[in-house]
Amino acid sequence: MASSKSRRRDVAIAYALMAPALLLMAGVLAYPIAWEVWASFTDLSPMNDGGPRFVGLANYRALVADPQFWWAATVTVGFAVVTTVVKLAIGIGFALLLVRPFRLRPLVFMAVFLPWAYPASVSVIGWYWTLSPPIPTAYSQFMGTLKYHVDGALGTGAWAFLSVTLFNIWRGSSFIGVFLLAGLNAIPTELFEYALLESKSAWRRFWVVTVPLLKPFLALAVFLSLTTAFSDLSNVWMLTAGRIVFPVIGTHAYWLAIKGGQLGAACALSLALVPFLLVVLFLLFRAFDRAERPVAAPKAAT
Amino acid sequence: MTARSRWRKSGRVALLALVSVYCLFPIYFMLVQSLKTAQEDVFGNPLIVMNPTFENFEELFERRGEAPRGFVGKALKRSYPFLDWLENTVILFAGSVGITLVIGVLAAYALGRLQPPGFRLWRRVIFATYVIPHTILFVPLYQVILRLGLDDNLIALLLVYPTMALPFCVWILSAYFQHLPREVEEAALIEGASRSQAFFKIVLPMSRPVLVAAGIFALGTIASDFTLASVFLLSEHNQTIPAGLATMEVALDELLAVAGINVMAIPVVILCAGFARGYVRGLTAAMLEGS
Repeated sequence: MASSKSRRRDVAIAYALMAPALLLMAGVLAYPIAWEVWASFTDLSPMNDGGPRFVGLANYRALVADPQFWWAATVTVGFAVVTTVVKLAIGIGFALLLVRPFRLRPLVFMAVFLPWAYPASVSVIGWYWTLSPPIPTAYSQFMGTLKYHVDGALGTGAWAFLSVTLFNIWRGSSFIGVFLLAGLNAIPTELFEYALLESKSAWRRFWVVTVPLLKPFLALAVFLSLTTAFSDLSNVWMLTAGRIVFPVIGTHAYWLAIKGGQLGAACALSLALVPFLLVVLFLLFRAFDRAERPVAAPKAAT
Repeated sequence: MTARSRWRKSGRVALLALVSVYCLFPIYFMLVQSLKTAQEDVFGNPLIVMNPTFENFEELFERRGEAPRGFVGKALKRSYPFLDWLENTVILFAGSVGITLVIGVLAAYALGRLQPPGFRLWRRVIFATYVIPHTILFVPLYQVILRLGLDDNLIALLLVYPTMALPFCVWILSAYFQHLPREVEEAALIEGASRSQAFFKIVLPMSRPVLVAAGIFALGTIASDFTLASVFLLSEHNQTIPAGLATMEVALDELLAVAGINVMAIPVVILCAGFARGYVRGLTAAMLEGS
C-alpha cells in the first residue's frame, strides 16, 4: 500500500522535474513543427488578402512537379550521405589510432579533439573566406585557380559547395573520432585480445570484431553528426547571402518564405526533409535497440 | 625483421604527423592571418608571419568611431561594437549551457531514476528531436518569439539554444542515472537523508564526469550556431560575435574578421581542451552504463 503511494508520488515528482525540458521543447520544436504541418496545407502568405485558405495537398503537388525541388533534395541528401560516410571512415581511423597508448598520444589526441572544439560558427567563416578570398591576399591567386578548375569541371557553385563539404568533414571527423574513442574505451579489452587469437588478419578482425562491437556507437555518431551537416550548410548559406549556388532544401525554403512570402509552400518544402530523417531515425534506433540487449550478453559469454 | 619494423615505425610516425597537420592546419592558418599586417597579408608568405602584430586585435576593440588606417579611406571604415558582441556571446553561451545542464539533469533524473510510465518512450522522443534541423523551423519559431515579445532579444536565444543540446544531454545523463546502483542512494535514505539531499550529496558528485561531457557537448553545439543568432538578433548591439562577424565587410576588414574569429575561438578552445579528457571519460562512463 505504502509503496504504491510512494510510487505515485515519485511519478508526480518525475513529471514535475521533466516539465521545464518538455515545455521548452514543446515551444521551440513541437509547436513550430505542428504549425508548419498546418501551414503547408494552406496558401498562407502575407501578400494574400484575407486569411489563409486550405488548399489540401496543392503545395506538395507543386513540389513534386518542380525539378528544382528534386535537384535540391538530391543535393541535400547526397551531401548528408557523403559527408557522413567520409566522417565515419576518418573518425574510425582516428579512434583506432588513439585507443592504444603511445608516447605522443596526449598530443595527437588534442590535435584530433580541437577541430570540433573550435567553434564552428566562426571557423566556418574563416574556412569559407579562406577558400574563396574576396580580396587580393597572398593566397588569393592559388585559391582562385583551384576554384576556377573545380567550377569548370563540376559547374558553377561547386567550389563553394565543396568548401562546406570539406569543412563539415574536417570538424565532424574530429567529433566522431573522439566519440568512437570513448566507445572503444567502453568495450572490454579482453574481447579484442580474444579476437587476436582467433584471426591473424587485421582487416578481418576489424570487420568481424571491431565494427560489430562499435555498431551502437557508430549509429549514435551518425545520429549526432547528421544535424551538423544541415547546420553547416545553412551557416555558409546565410554567411554568403545565398551565394552557394547549389540549392539545398533548407535554403530553398528560406528563399520562398523570405523573398517570395509564400509561407505555405516554404513549410511544405521544409517538411520534405522529414521522411528522410524518419527513415534514418528508424534505422538508427534499431541499431541502438539491438545493442541494448547484447551489451550484457558478451559479458556473460566471455 | 628489424628493417621491416623500422619501416612500420616510420610509417606510423608519418601517419601521426599527417593526422596532426590535417587537424591543426586550418586553426594554425587562421591564427597566423590574424597576426599579420595588411602589407604582409597581401605580399607575404601565406603560411607564416614574419612580423607578428596585435594591431588587428587592438583595432577590433577600438574601432568605435572613425579610425582610419592604411590605404582604405575614412568613409569606408565601419565601426563595430565588438565589446557588446563579446559580452552578449559570453552571457548567451554561459546562460545556455547552464540552462541546458540544469533542466537536462532534472529531466534525466526523472527518466533514469524515478522512471515514470513510458519513460523509455519519453527518452526516445526527446532524443529523436535532435535530428530536426532548427533551420527548417525559422518561420514558426519567429512567430513564437514575436508573440513572447522577445524579438531582437538575447533571451529568445537563451530559450532556443538549450534545445539544440538538450536531447543528447538528457540521453547520456539519464542512461548514467538509470544504471547507477540504487544502493548508493538507498544507503543515504536509510541514514535519514531526504531524497534531494541524497541527490545533491551523492548522485550529483558521482556523475561529475558525465556532467562534464554533457557540458562540453552543449558548449560545442551551441557555439557552432550563427544562423539562428543572425536571424533572431537584428540590431547591431544585440549581436553575438559570430553573427556580428558575418555582417562585416570582409573585403575591407578581412584581418579584423580573422582577429574576431580568434577572440571568440581561443577561449572556447582552451576551455574545451581543459576538459577534453574528462569529456572522453564522461562519454565512456555514459556508454558503459547506458548503451
